[in-house]
Amino acid sequence: MKLLRALPLRPCTASWVALLFLTTISFELGAAAPGGALMAAVLALTLIKGQLVVSYFMGLRRVRPLWRIVMAAYLVAVGGVIAFAYSIS
Amino acid sequence: MHGGTAVPPISRCSVMTSEASVDYAQPLPGDFAIWIFIFAELLVFGVLFAAYAFARSAHLEMFNAAQLSLNRALGFANTLILVTSSYFVARASQSIKVGRSRACGHWLVAALGLGGGFLVLKLVEFHQDFARGISLSTNLFYMFYLALTFFHFMHVVMGMVILAVVARKAYAGRYSAADHTGVETGGSYWHMVDLVWIILFALVYVIH
Repeated sequence: MKLLRALPLRPCTASWVALLFLTTISFELGAAAPGGALMAAVLALTLIKGQLVVSYFMGLRRVRPLWRIVMAAYLVAVGGVIAFAYSIS
Repeated sequence: MHGGTAVPPISRCSVMTSEASVDYAQPLPGDFAIWIFIFAELLVFGVLFAAYAFARSAHLEMFNAAQLSLNRALGFANTLILVTSSYFVARASQSIKVGRSRACGHWLVAALGLGGGFLVLKLVEFHQDFARGISLSTNLFYMFYLALTFFHFMHVVMGMVILAVVARKAYAGRYSAADHTGVETGGSYWHMVDLVWIILFALVYVIH
């Protein structure tokens, strides 16, 4: 039973595995031809990775909604500004 | 009266912990003062990221050409290293929440080792860059690249000093399940350093 209980991954462990996986995908995408699709895909992966760190490493999934909104807004704002700057280039 | 020691209900980051039992209205982890610092740091890095993105839009060819000269493999390896070190710090935080101060110290030392690995790889990368004659005045891309990565490098150094102090106190038994604010304070700073690098890696090394 102890072994069985130990089998499921903790959310933070699953997040770590996901972060390694998403980082590898981002890195591989970097070898692709430049363009809006690449930028959008990598930015989307980066926002997901950022949210995983904020929620499961920092532990903000358990805090008051205000702080979760602030951090999510930061990630979206930074991603949005980068996307806008790239769209006008 | 109930006997036994009181353990915080949110002491483990585990699927075994019932979501229904989790309190979703807690204050920010650690000392609130570190969060003012974290938000200020995120704002500074956010402005620098925006400046990089708009500078790139005005000098597209130059940025794309210079970006190809970066050692992407080292940037990738450093991302894996920093993400893993952040995971170790999260596990240190979980350990102390159930009163395992030695395990907390071990996780922190492992995170420190990876932080050291990050610094070594970054120094190797800087050495390669300088050996190619790259400097802050080479062009606008390298100015941003060197400034951003060195600024972040110094944050990693600062984070490692904080983690070392926290690890020492953990081994000395200065934290407990009931009192571990210091672990969460230092950990929050380290996660911020990781978060900033995740964006920096995508922006400077990947997107082109």
